[in-house]
Amino acid sequence: MNTTLTTCPYCGTGCNFYLLHDDIGQLTGLEPAANHPVTRGQLCVKGWNAHAFVGHPDRLQTPLIRKNGQLQPTDWQTALDLLHDKLRTIATRQGPDSLMFLSSAKVSNEENYLLMKLARAGYGTNNIDHCARLCHSSTVTGLVETLGSGAMTNSLSCFAETDLIFVIGSNTTEQHPLIGSRILQAVQQGAQLIVADSRRIRLSQHADLHLRHQNGSDIALLNGMMRHISQEGLEDRTFITQRTENFSALQQALEPFTPEYVATITGLSSQQIMDAARLFAEADRAMIVYAMGITQHSHGVDNVRAVSNLALLTGNLGRPGTGINPLRGQNNVQGACDMGALPDVYTGYQRVADPQIREKFSAAWGVPLPETPGQMSTHAIEAAAAGKLCGMLVLGENPVVSDANQTLVYQAFEKLDFLAVIDIFMTETAQLADLVLPAACYAERDGTFTSTERRVQRGRKAVEPPGQARADWQIIAELLRRCGLKGDYTDPAEIMNEIASLTPSYGGIEYSRLEGEGLQWPCSDNTDPGTPILHTRTCTRGKGHFSPVTYRPPQEMPDLEFPLLLNTGRTAFHWHTGSMTRRSHLLDREERQAFVEINPTDAEKYQLAERQQLKVTSRRGSVSVRARLTERVPPGQVFIPFHFAESAANVLTNNALDPESGIPEFKVCAVRIEAC
Amino acid sequence: MLKQLDRADIDHLLDSLHTAYRLQIPQQLPDGTRHLSPYTPTSVLSLSGEIVHRKPTSFFFPQVQKLVSIDPTGHARDLQKVEKPLALFGLNRADLMGIQFLDRFFLAAPADDIYLSLRQDALLIGLTGFSGPDKSFLPLSTGNCDIELVALAGHWLALGHSTIGKKLLDPYARGLNSELEELRQRDENSSGDLELLQQASHLLMNDLVPDSFWAEIAGRCILCSGCNMVCPTCSCFCVQDRCFEETTERSRVWDSCQFDAFMREASGHNPLGTEALRTRRRIHHKLAADIERWGEPGCVACGRCDRSCPTGIGMMAVAGEIVKRYGAGRR
Repeated sequence: MNTTLTTCPYCGTGCNFYLLHDDIGQLTGLEPAANHPVTRGQLCVKGWNAHAFVGHPDRLQTPLIRKNGQLQPTDWQTALDLLHDKLRTIATRQGPDSLMFLSSAKVSNEENYLLMKLARAGYGTNNIDHCARLCHSSTVTGLVETLGSGAMTNSLSCFAETDLIFVIGSNTTEQHPLIGSRILQAVQQGAQLIVADSRRIRLSQHADLHLRHQNGSDIALLNGMMRHISQEGLEDRTFITQRTENFSALQQALEPFTPEYVATITGLSSQQIMDAARLFAEADRAMIVYAMGITQHSHGVDNVRAVSNLALLTGNLGRPGTGINPLRGQNNVQGACDMGALPDVYTGYQRVADPQIREKFSAAWGVPLPETPGQMSTHAIEAAAAGKLCGMLVLGENPVVSDANQTLVYQAFEKLDFLAVIDIFMTETAQLADLVLPAACYAERDGTFTSTERRVQRGRKAVEPPGQARADWQIIAELLRRCGLKGDYTDPAEIMNEIASLTPSYGGIEYSRLEGEGLQWPCSDNTDPGTPILHTRTCTRGKGHFSPVTYRPPQEMPDLEFPLLLNTGRTAFHWHTGSMTRRSHLLDREERQAFVEINPTDAEKYQLAERQQLKVTSRRGSVSVRARLTERVPPGQVFIPFHFAESAANVLTNNALDPESGIPEFKVCAVRIEAC
Repeated sequence: MLKQLDRADIDHLLDSLHTAYRLQIPQQLPDGTRHLSPYTPTSVLSLSGEIVHRKPTSFFFPQVQKLVSIDPTGHARDLQKVEKPLALFGLNRADLMGIQFLDRFFLAAPADDIYLSLRQDALLIGLTGFSGPDKSFLPLSTGNCDIELVALAGHWLALGHSTIGKKLLDPYARGLNSELEELRQRDENSSGDLELLQQASHLLMNDLVPDSFWAEIAGRCILCSGCNMVCPTCSCFCVQDRCFEETTERSRVWDSCQFDAFMREASGHNPLGTEALRTRRRIHHKLAADIERWGEPGCVACGRCDRSCPTGIGMMAVAGEIVKRYGAGRR
């Protein structure tokens, strides 16, 4: 049995395991890495099944071109020539900004870098983005403003060194199970736990305080806690004086958020808010952990600012066991952002709008570069639906199922003149494409991934890709070559050397240094051991900036016509649009179809029964799902996972976007429910 | 006859085995994971350390195992023939007990032919004595292997437990029975884990562990299924069919009793419909049901589930908690 050490393809925790493969190149299972600092010989259920989809018969094996309405096999030369010709023609005739490139948090750093380079240097547009737009764009915007860096400030090892963990909007044991287990271990060791989540998630069973605040009322809760901390004199005066700015503005903004006022918005009691404030502020070392419950709102950036304010107010930054810890959902969503697969920055968050930075990249790549920042993916969908985009290249994403308001997304893709998709399966998005290219999956190619704690790690090839499928970096390199740019990379290590030469925070990342535990950026040169904790002496931007925010409600709240609040998210057993996990036998068997969690009180009110097939309707559409009666959701709220294309939760969701980050409000919209 | 090997003899033994067998020996993987990997003349043999991480039973009953392949005409194709039998080197007492346990399950008439094809000519070589972490002492086997090497300070006593094992040891020098006897004395005093399991088992079989305990332990379970994946005596599998263009393949895949779907019926009814019931089953099956069925527990105290459990509710941890709360000490 042969073994290949690699990084898990699912969430951003960064677990490592050995893929086991036999002499004929088939995977026979996997084994967690016993001494890896994150994995420690343990995996979650998706990790234990990460080999299962790799050899699935549905894998794409040949390039496909649409002819007479049907996708038909073709050869690589024809496919790549056509792809380049289409993109080049659109760029020439309609202008480069008529193109949109969607990169992927599932492909490597090197592949994200190459696609970003292709969009900018190859076809002349900054219109490149990826699914971080749908998850942590609010974090990047918010934390760059307040701290100077959008990344998780601390490391996973800090959970063993903390006195209190405040989890707000993260179902950690299901979505980052090996981080969730660290939280449970910390609680076993005596750390205190506050969980703010409207759902009764597993962590809430272990919490000292469970705050079931109304979805979308986070700012009220956080401001209320901060006001009470100030009133009680529990803020960290020394930290505020020495390390922060704009404190008086914060104090002013907090004034209206009395416990009584906050109670009316959140649905909590005044006492709960005061208890949470005191508990949090009295801990010497407190970590704030958050995920999509904070970011996926039409006020997601303000939510992040409020989280940041709370950490700064109590001096919980720059030390072990503290910090602002936004958990990245995809195994390389941190890396895809780091690599500049975003419309306004190159690698390492170097701004497109900065002429000196632009000149640096222009000189390195040997072509002039576009000056105007590009479009966010969510705006690009709107633009396409309005007929203002002509061509799109989608790499390893499935917006038809993952983006808010599916009807709009279908309209967008139908209006495009040309759509190309690179993927490992025939996703719902690929089915709409004019050209589909088969890619190697994580087990079939080399590359690096950057985890939620900024740990850059190797992914390694264990087996050959099926049929004619190729590694994404090889596909993109072919397009770069056709654009007259360097395309003769021998391997991803060479691409990483180019990235390091252009990216200060990755300056010391090279493959020879990644053989052990990886390196946590910033890592400026090849003697730099990496940075487990950010903002230790000063923040990346200098002073930590208090950025006061005020509460505004979600854009669509329940009313008489649509009386229930719909919350969407993931389950423990499936991954996003299900293309991998629904093709993994055990995971598929565990959750085979879409369901809606309904509180028994609501079930009684609307006369609904367990396992009954129901029609759920929002202003944007309807889906059919099976009822699951549970106290997990509070009365008035229902929850539907978004994994199931045939009952897609995103038919219902509201594409109301945060004005700054462009993230949709996946966590709140209004629905009604009736029997089918 | 008791034999004695030095380090060069072990290399010689391995070298002589690898022509006739697919020999697997303990080696360190890149991050230090101790793993049974294929022998090559340049392999670096690990002669002491933690128990190998991957359970050795996985060589006979792997995580994914092809059962049958059917061509478009509906005929079964021959599966890939096993060219050479396996030889597993470096098994401690728990791992040998695990293999013995699984043998009984798969080889009871009618024998599982896939398992049998891999197991029947396989050679098992135990490694006991001072071969644990930091050369700590590991108890001797019960003789359920072909060869057993018992580590001492600078040499290994070698016991041939089977005919072929004895024959393979023929070329080597005679060992001192007194040295072996000394270790056997030590052996009898080193079964603390098994004693704990017996106490927990007694409490379970007398129904002294309340339902509230299982609800509490289940509340800490994050449903990773790792406890089942790493357990050398877990034999549950599910069947997976995959239709490729040229062939349809049926495989079996390790299953987990911690999954809701493990016992969920088509109607939706589930006899083990709560996490608490499933957690109870995990422990109860090994420490009570197996004893009733086989006369011995289904846990061989290898420690893998405790190591792989992200939240500290592996078998030994739970057994310890049961004995602490409901055992004699409590009263």
